[in-house]
Amino acid sequence: MGERPRHWDTGARDEAYAELEHPADLFVEIWGEDLSALFGNALFALYDQMVELEGLGAERTETIEVCGPDSEETLRSLLSEALYIFAAEGFVANAARLDVRTASEGPLQVTAHLWGETLDRRRHTLLAEVKAVTYHQLTVGRTAEGGWRATVLFDV
Amino acid sequence: MTTPDLIQVSEYVWELPAVGGMRVPGRVYADRELIQEVRDDQSLVQVANVAHLPGILRYSMAMPDIHFGYGFPIGGVAAFSVEEGIVSPGGVGYDINCGCRLLATDLRTDDVGGRMKPLIDQLFRDVPSGVGASGAIERLSRKELEKILVRGAAWAVERGYGSKEDLEHTEDGGTLPGADPGAVGERAWVRGQDQVGTLGSGNHFLEIQTVDRVFDAAAAAAYGLREGQITIMVHCGSRGFGYQVCEDSLETMASASHRYGIELPDRQLACAPVTSPEGRQYLAAMACAANYAWANRQMIMHLTEQALLRALRMSPKDLGLRLVYDVAHNIAKLETHEVEGVPVDACVHRKGATRAFGPGRSEIPAAYREIGQPVLIPGDMGTASFICRGADKSMAETFGSTCHGAGRVMSRSQARKRAKGRSIERELESAGVLVRSQGRKTLAEEMPEAYKDVGQVVAVMDGAGISPRVARLRPLGVIKG
Repeated sequence: MGERPRHWDTGARDEAYAELEHPADLFVEIWGEDLSALFGNALFALYDQMVELEGLGAERTETIEVCGPDSEETLRSLLSEALYIFAAEGFVANAARLDVRTASEGPLQVTAHLWGETLDRRRHTLLAEVKAVTYHQLTVGRTAEGGWRATVLFDV
Repeated sequence: MTTPDLIQVSEYVWELPAVGGMRVPGRVYADRELIQEVRDDQSLVQVANVAHLPGILRYSMAMPDIHFGYGFPIGGVAAFSVEEGIVSPGGVGYDINCGCRLLATDLRTDDVGGRMKPLIDQLFRDVPSGVGASGAIERLSRKELEKILVRGAAWAVERGYGSKEDLEHTEDGGTLPGADPGAVGERAWVRGQDQVGTLGSGNHFLEIQTVDRVFDAAAAAAYGLREGQITIMVHCGSRGFGYQVCEDSLETMASASHRYGIELPDRQLACAPVTSPEGRQYLAAMACAANYAWANRQMIMHLTEQALLRALRMSPKDLGLRLVYDVAHNIAKLETHEVEGVPVDACVHRKGATRAFGPGRSEIPAAYREIGQPVLIPGDMGTASFICRGADKSMAETFGSTCHGAGRVMSRSQARKRAKGRSIERELESAGVLVRSQGRKTLAEEMPEAYKDVGQVVAVMDGAGISPRVARLRPLGVIKG
């Protein structure tokens, strides 16, 4: 896979995402200097909320490919795919390399190479059960500083 | 959109007038204090949004435990005409047939007094809980899973995990008709293989309780409940299987809404006509998930009985474990209701709302038919849960529905902040509640202060005459996921 993956630093999670107030579910705000970074940080947020990532190895890789009519839909699909692989096969990632291709404003195609481990309840600490990635209050947009910002509501 | 103005209709009923694209008004059940909290969040906008959907009957309703959800509010009730209306996965939620099951025993509180610790430890060992819990029973073959999807709790009983009486005391007999495994996507099959008989996490729990107050002696007697008795409550749903069924249906529904020209004020309200192929497919898959949940709670009941017998070294006869009732509180049901004096076939969505059928309805087990169905309202882990009964007024006003629990007042992150430096476990223990949990985070997020006062929520529905209180159950031991 050539390029080195971007390892998620749980010590610097505040630069990647933050939890927003929500009465019942898990509502997060995510940042990135470009769409690849944004989508990568969104994956970081998802795994970071579900599993204690510190000390997690990188012995297994997975590739997720999604496309969607817009960046919101594509982001949701990406997270939803990652959640499925976690739920069905116990795959947890702690590093990723993302490739985002876009025509112009329209459809988006994302390939995410993920590095991580298969969940082992004896060694890993599970934090929360994420039921789904909802369409609710799902946003992706530019910030005034020229970066990107997204909001995602996870049903927990 | 700003929150529209509410008009008080009676002591406990507030109306949201139909404006703009709303086809019917909204109605919220609350007292003066609770309605203030409702005004403060955005859930009223969600009540209004639901009122836009085609075929909605009478009102878009919300129970006093209403809070902001996605699409439909939690605590929402909406009935749609089968002929002209829609069905929406967003009106059911991800955890299809999340619900509650109450078990009664012949034990008195004094009988278990000194044995709570080994008892709760045994239950914690024997009933798998926590994130992604699995493995209560061996991995299911596709054929076996298919039977669960079609038969629900009856599948478990046929395999010796329960009795015929259990089925009689379960909403719909533990088998929702119309389930078609062919309507279920491959991913749900994968996720459903190993989670039957598991609690899961979040607000789900298994609780040992004592009946600490009886409000209605006749109804309590009919339900087999008396003061000082030990009961067990199970709160959980259809696990990953149900989440996946919902997830898969949302995509289909998004394009279906478009195809049928249904204008949506919120993408999460995606829906299709009840009678359309998409609507039927969702209902058939949803029924599979509902049945999965009933099989799940039936299996948990079996695991609970085994654990109790082992810990207490008792015979099944002395334990006397029996099912009082099992209710769903995240579901869409095809029911007949009287609307302006005429029986109408309706698709009733209850998202965080409990069926509360009044006396005489044929759906209620014979033993309870004169009283009305038992309504199980789980509270938070430190306070109390309530047993209520469905009344005639519930049939007249709310399509036979009532509240489902306390509802959160504090976000999970707020609760964690509030819990910092404290031991929720020790606090509860000194209040007489033993807690076992897979994760400290869950305990903090689920602490009693994070919830509305369930007593107040239940009092509203009692005062409104929809579901009068029968008994209050105080927790002694809790297993949280």
